[in-house]
Amino acid sequence: MTSGQPEFVTITIDGREHQVLSGEMLITAAEDSGTYIPRFCWHPRMTPVGMCRVCIVEVDTGRGPALIPACMNPVSDGMVVATQSDVTKKAQEAVLEFLLANHPLDCPVCDKGGECPLQDQALSHGPGESRFVEIKRNYEKPIPISDLVLLDRERCILCDRCTRFSREISGDPLIEFFDRGNKTQVNTFPDHPFASYFSGNTVQLCPVGALTAGPYRFRARPWDLLKVVSSSLFDTAHPRIEVHASQNEIVRYTGVDNDATNHGWLSDKARFGFEYIHSEDRLGAPLVRRKGVYEATDWAEAIDVAADRLGLIRDESGGDALAVIGGAHGTNEDAYALSKFARVALGTNNVDCRLGDSLSSHFLAGTVDRATIGQLDDADTILVWGPDLKEEHPTLYLRVRRAAQELGAELVVVHPRATGLDDVAFRKLTYRPGEGFDLVQALDDGRYPDVIEALDADNVVALIGIASHADGPHVAEAVAALVRARRGRSDLLPLNSRANTYGALDMGLAPDLLPGRVGVSQEGVGRLRDHWGEVPSVPGRDTAGILEGLISGEIRGLLLVGADPVRDFPIPALAEEALEAAEWVVAIDLFITDSTRHAEVILPAETFTEKEGTVTNVEGRVQKLNNIRPGPGQTRPDWAMLDDLAHRIGAPLGLSSAEAISKEISTVAPAYVGVSWDLLEWEARDGVVVPLEGESQLAHIPVAVATDGKRENGLSLHVARTMYDDGVRLRHSPSLSRLALGPVVLVNPLDATALDAVPGDSLRLVTVSGEGRFEMVVDEGTPAGTVYVPFNQPGATALGIDSAVEAEVADA
Amino acid sequence: MSHWSESTQERAREIIDLYPQKRSAVMPLLYLAMAEEGHLTETGMEEVARWCEITPAQVLSVASFYTMYKRERTGKYLISCCTSISCMLLGGDEVMHAVEDESGVPHGETDEEGLLSVEHAECIGACGGAPAVQVNYELIEGVTPDKARDLVTWLKKARPVVVNTDEMQELFGGRRSFDWAIPETDGAIGPFPAFQPLGTVESEGGE
Ligand code: SF4
Ligand code: FES
Ligand code: FES
Repeated sequence: MTSGQPEFVTITIDGREHQVLSGEMLITAAEDSGTYIPRFCWHPRMTPVGMCRVCIVEVDTGRGPALIPACMNPVSDGMVVATQSDVTKKAQEAVLEFLLANHPLDCPVCDKGGECPLQDQALSHGPGESRFVEIKRNYEKPIPISDLVLLDRERCILCDRCTRFSREISGDPLIEFFDRGNKTQVNTFPDHPFASYFSGNTVQLCPVGALTAGPYRFRARPWDLLKVVSSSLFDTAHPRIEVHASQNEIVRYTGVDNDATNHGWLSDKARFGFEYIHSEDRLGAPLVRRKGVYEATDWAEAIDVAADRLGLIRDESGGDALAVIGGAHGTNEDAYALSKFARVALGTNNVDCRLGDSLSSHFLAGTVDRATIGQLDDADTILVWGPDLKEEHPTLYLRVRRAAQELGAELVVVHPRATGLDDVAFRKLTYRPGEGFDLVQALDDGRYPDVIEALDADNVVALIGIASHADGPHVAEAVAALVRARRGRSDLLPLNSRANTYGALDMGLAPDLLPGRVGVSQEGVGRLRDHWGEVPSVPGRDTAGILEGLISGEIRGLLLVGADPVRDFPIPALAEEALEAAEWVVAIDLFITDSTRHAEVILPAETFTEKEGTVTNVEGRVQKLNNIRPGPGQTRPDWAMLDDLAHRIGAPLGLSSAEAISKEISTVAPAYVGVSWDLLEWEARDGVVVPLEGESQLAHIPVAVATDGKRENGLSLHVARTMYDDGVRLRHSPSLSRLALGPVVLVNPLDATALDAVPGDSLRLVTVSGEGRFEMVVDEGTPAGTVYVPFNQPGATALGIDSAVEAEVADA
Repeated sequence: MSHWSESTQERAREIIDLYPQKRSAVMPLLYLAMAEEGHLTETGMEEVARWCEITPAQVLSVASFYTMYKRERTGKYLISCCTSISCMLLGGDEVMHAVEDESGVPHGETDEEGLLSVEHAECIGACGGAPAVQVNYELIEGVTPDKARDLVTWLKKARPVVVNTDEMQELFGGRRSFDWAIPETDGAIGPFPAFQPLGTVESEGGE
């Protein structure tokens, strides 16, 4: 961007003069001035290629009228454009006649029919009939090009949108044009399917019905769909989506283009993660365990049973004997209700929405120099020190990739093994899991001058998270300190998994936080007194502390809210033992899980498509979610159950509706002052970044440095999350659950040789907290000396967080 | 882990070094892959993809555009008959038919023995000497249907180790577009000749 005023030029479109931005493509300039020029290949988020020619219009730039494609030609002063002239019309009709020459016209059985740009523009700009009598191209129809996407080459008009997307945007060009010429076709290389985490975007992009999505195929007709805008809770950036339902059933999500977050793109997990909503296993009634088996019951009884024991424990042993885990997958309103419930009804600060694999709550919620996602576009240097964004933060991955590839940012990636961004990074550092802190010190000592030089740029954005389970939260804070100490301006994005962690922390779902980015203290509690009454003012236990308390018996009762520590906590055995030992567990969940099956009472919850509320993303952007269907059976929103439970315990919360809760939030939570549903629904549909005014007052409490002790030899274990795992919602989404990797270990070829193992061999891995068998995959992306085990895979045993690991070939 | 011989890998390294970006080496490397296995296989293209750090799909996209990348095994001699406009006007189609008829090999195929492959080609840049034919990309101009039959018979009988333009022009050619001046001595060996400048194919006749 050059500084100063934007320059305007004057062009004439169909006899009317318009002032348009100089340098803009004619197709956008015309659209902004109210004239629609047809298009197939042109897409606002991708490089123009001029493939389809339908945007051809008659243009006179002073040398006489000529036909030019509007998507490839920038406007110039004095340009005279005729979009309705006979010449233009004839040209566009001819193009459409050619594009349809091979098209099968099978619209009645095509998913795209009714929302198809080819269909629509054939009607609006086409000739109405064809002179072609030749036999059309014949292809096998349709062929699966990935586990989720099917390709019907007969329908394809070769617009290069899908191929361009995979090349330019997602960076995995596994689909391409083959046999270019008369027989050009889109396809994949034999035995190399379109295994992209972003494949579903091509379905939405395709201007014809050539690409269709397995989970949606033949499920609905577009004109029968009910639609509502919402945000995906499978991604910490909360990409905007449209939820499409047919007869109360969610049939698909589509990406909504917005500048703030996702530019319209979605990961396949965010796009196809809806099947769990209709899973047969979903709970539709409250369950109470009687004589060892769950029995469905009504709400009145379930609430009484659940609350009476919680109340009893509180009266006998005090609030410190109670705890709450969870709340990071729901809305802010539900998180607030939970936070209030814990403090007011249970009388405890033992509450945590994180599951032992996270950064400190103060670092996550209190980072004042927090970057926005949009700042990535202007960054001189981007540092990614944390999880592989492609696996865990797909929207950020696409934005960082774009910044590095298109916008000239210098990208530094630090991670124990290969990541999806390495190909666009100017510098990539790997380290042995558990030794991240040493690397920070090495950087500080000037070991990598090029990296330090890059970090000395004027404008640095650092995305910092936990790269490997073996790295403690102190590594991230050391990285933050390193970045902040450099010369220029730096902004940070602290990263965390679980989509609404940020909202949940902002609502106080941490042992040391209260709503609105306020620390637990006398002062913080005092401020809440009007709304919350007397609540404990010393910080409580985090998830690990709660689990330990359950084992030791100091904590007797636990409320689990949409959390599955037995699968999700880095040391699952500890979680299992704790839940086993717990005297009284109440769960709010969609399913019976490995964790909730320890509960005496399970209350059936609603998904985000069934309730209204707001969520807060990684940059602190608050957005509104909207419901489109009723929840099954007797499901209710969390806040309503919590209100009932509190009532029964004898400490009413006074919650009456999600919207009323949001008003309460904007009153009591300093960072949320001024945020209302009205604002989000009318003025700021893409959300607002909080705080709207002022800064968070949360004082930063650095976490203690836990020394891992450097290990000179032996293998180091790297455990990290992948996009598809055995998470509860994925497990109940058949299209996605089969994409999980399963119990695998990725090993460098050198280590494989040293272990005398060949691909497919089963390796036995032993750590201090577990052992298991994993199928070996030889992988050059994993450095020698490190073995990589994806976390929480179906059928895999968890290995804990210590990086020391023994490996050997297991007997068959 | 490469499937290629050490010398091919060495050559690949040299070629890649010529370019600022590895992916730019895709076309010469495809010739290497072809020379390595006699034709371009999926394994060969995957290998090229690894060397150039692009995906196999991108390699196939390039390979499938050019007819000179043979993805099927070709005979020892590849006869390409031009059927583009100039040659067509001067009887290219008849020459093509004569070749097909005499060899018994239709367009795009190879005989059972693996000796002859026949294809029609788009303009091979010898319009002035139309109709033109190539054997292993060595040019013969002014070919008649009869001469084309003789050519096929000669290839079958004589089975030269190297074919060369001057010799074949002398035996089977007619009017030339112009005198090419520099006599070719090296010629080409089948099946993938003509790329000696890149060192992708060793010359047998030169020394
Ligand atoms: S499949 Fe669709 S998006 Fe891809 S080139 Fe064909 S028409 Fe375009
Ligand atoms: S939209 Fe301009 S050429 Fe396709
Ligand atoms: S048309 Fe045959 S060589 Fe040009």
